[in-house]
Amino acid sequence: MAILASKKNIERLTFILLIIYPFTLNAFFGYFSAVFSFWLSFYSWDILSPMKFVGLSNYYALFQELWRGLNLLFSDPNLLQFRAPFFNGLKNILVYTAIVVPTQTFLALMLALMGNQKIRGSQFFKVAYFLPATTCSVIISLIFMWLFEKDGFINFFIIPFTGGYRINWLNDPTYLLTAISLVAIWGTSGNFSVTFLSGLQTLPKEVYEAAKIDGASSLNRLIHITIPLLKPIIAYVVIMGLIGALQMFDLSYVMAGSSGGVGGAGYTITLDIYNTAFLQLRYGYAAAKSVILFLLIFSLSYYVQNKLRYYRHE
Amino acid sequence: MRTSAISRLALVLVVVVIVVIIAAGAVALYMQYRPTSPSNVVVISFAGWSAGPTEMANYQKIINDFEAANPNIKIDYEVISQMFFENLLASFAAGKAPDVFYLDSSWAPVFISQGLIYPIGDKLPSDFINQFYPFLLQPFKGSDGKIYGIPKDWSVLSLFYNKDLFSQANVPTPTSSWTWSDLFNYAKIIHDRTGVAGLVVQPDFNRWVPYIMSNGGPSPSFNSASDASYFDNSQVRNAISDFISKVQQGMNASYVVLPADVGAGWNGEAFGKQKAAMAIEGSWTIPYLNGTFPNFKYGVDWDIAPMPQGSSGRVTMAYTVALAVNAHTQHLDEALKFIEYVEGVTGQKTLVVGMGQTLPSIESLSNDPNLWPSHAKELSMVNSYSAVQVFSFGSKTGDLDSKFGQIFLSAFQGKLTTDQVFTELKNAVSSEFSSS
Repeated sequence: MAILASKKNIERLTFILLIIYPFTLNAFFGYFSAVFSFWLSFYSWDILSPMKFVGLSNYYALFQELWRGLNLLFSDPNLLQFRAPFFNGLKNILVYTAIVVPTQTFLALMLALMGNQKIRGSQFFKVAYFLPATTCSVIISLIFMWLFEKDGFINFFIIPFTGGYRINWLNDPTYLLTAISLVAIWGTSGNFSVTFLSGLQTLPKEVYEAAKIDGASSLNRLIHITIPLLKPIIAYVVIMGLIGALQMFDLSYVMAGSSGGVGGAGYTITLDIYNTAFLQLRYGYAAAKSVILFLLIFSLSYYVQNKLRYYRHE
Repeated sequence: MRTSAISRLALVLVVVVIVVIIAAGAVALYMQYRPTSPSNVVVISFAGWSAGPTEMANYQKIINDFEAANPNIKIDYEVISQMFFENLLASFAAGKAPDVFYLDSSWAPVFISQGLIYPIGDKLPSDFINQFYPFLLQPFKGSDGKIYGIPKDWSVLSLFYNKDLFSQANVPTPTSSWTWSDLFNYAKIIHDRTGVAGLVVQPDFNRWVPYIMSNGGPSPSFNSASDASYFDNSQVRNAISDFISKVQQGMNASYVVLPADVGAGWNGEAFGKQKAAMAIEGSWTIPYLNGTFPNFKYGVDWDIAPMPQGSSGRVTMAYTVALAVNAHTQHLDEALKFIEYVEGVTGQKTLVVGMGQTLPSIESLSNDPNLWPSHAKELSMVNSYSAVQVFSFGSKTGDLDSKFGQIFLSAFQGKLTTDQVFTELKNAVSSEFSSS
């Protein structure tokens, strides 16, 4: 085997062998599925009968639904969940993302800053913050459903601040999405705090020492040194948070049910895609909805990446 | 350069060889461990979901008995515990569907209209088919009048009531003469006297079909956009307006509650936690109460009564699952033999009567001494109903039931006017069938 005589060849071979398994899986379940679902969005298909090419009519129906939703949002929002479910899901997921992403990023940064201090027991807190990330989201949802009950643990603590009023977290459309958002924030902040922590530990010590000598306070050091240097990590956390939030399915499915719970307040785009495909057997229309979700995620991530300048510029 | 090109080619060859070796190994492993059978043995694939390990074990026992009695047939039993119908549809699309499988009444119209299942009623002996409750066969009949599935078991809606709360409130327990008005009136009295909600309700359409039909509304069936006219029927409209107003009044005065209002996920849980004195629920509630609330005992603490009656009689809902045979099976005779065994008297004695999860679909088993007393009582009430409507309202049953339920929930909470309710109900039907 002359081929194995060269070290470079062995490296190449190792490279190919190592990637062949994940690549095959990714090629089939990732790239092929993505291309297939784009292709499917131009067809009408109930999985059982032959596929029928319908051109852009799935997209036309989708934009009609979005337009109808936009009108209803201002005229009669109670009807949104019945007449424009995709729009309802879109509206909810944008609100959810707007609540979750900034909060989880801020919290994660704070947790990381605390974890980075040389104080006794910091290792314990780091592990404690990270634990939610290792727990199955369905189990987290089930535990929180119990905590969010009208006579539950959370109301027990906040009753003094609400004047005795017990919030019906999961069965009042005003609070359902907030409850789901709180669970998401709790579940993801610890995970991202580890990302921030690893970023914090790579920051150059000399800069801090120089700032200290110049008399910069710890708040000034945070605002003028830490945060600017952490920008690439912040961009990464925001983008990953955005992608995760916009695709949220599990928390809503468990905490609100596949119809999105009371008033459709917990309905999301991914729940709508699931219902359109698997309950209504309209796979083509569901694929068109996924393409729109992809475009939404892609454009928002691109925008954020540009805005936060993912790469450091010297 | 030439050497480098050769070594690159050699590298590719090595990779190809390795991939081929891995693939060959995988095939060899598959061949070694796949279910093999002598050439004269037929393998029937059988797919269902499972109510738990006990049911799976019982199925396995019946399958073993069947295989012992029929040495030329092997059953490849597969339990699909999640997203059963999504999996089944995908297996049909891939041409790899099982020979025999569970078919819920709500999905039956899709499978029948698409020609996916065999009209087994044509092949099974009429003596066998005639043993089953006729109304349970109804959803498995195609538009051609043929029978496409045989119900393996079933559940029925009844009125569950808490005997302790009734006695605390000094109220007579429900009887077969109770009307829907009695149900709500006594719910109020119980709440006034005990402080506990009288009735827990769910907004699901299927729970309110008995109300609609017992007040003169026709049996619901939605197969095209024009079937939205069901909600133009004056008796249907009166019944729906009536129960919405009754529930709203009850919710305002707290004698009617939704499960969530009392920290429960569904009616059965609210009833088991004794947060409501009455609930209209299915037979599945019985094993649930027995297992989850062992100190809350049937006959002592709670009991079952027939559904209340309306102006046009007494109606209940039934929920059933059939065994159906793949239209393209290569082993029709063997599949039928298996169905006759599993769903026949012997099979149902073990799988249904002994389990206590559901009710036997064979009429004569309603007198079986091994039935749970609660199940025997439910079966004894069947003849008191003027109609038993099976959960199947056409090809979009599941989706429409969920959409109607969301509309009723908004109506119960006062977020929709009665006119809006009817507009949205009709709109749900027409948009379901007018879309691609």
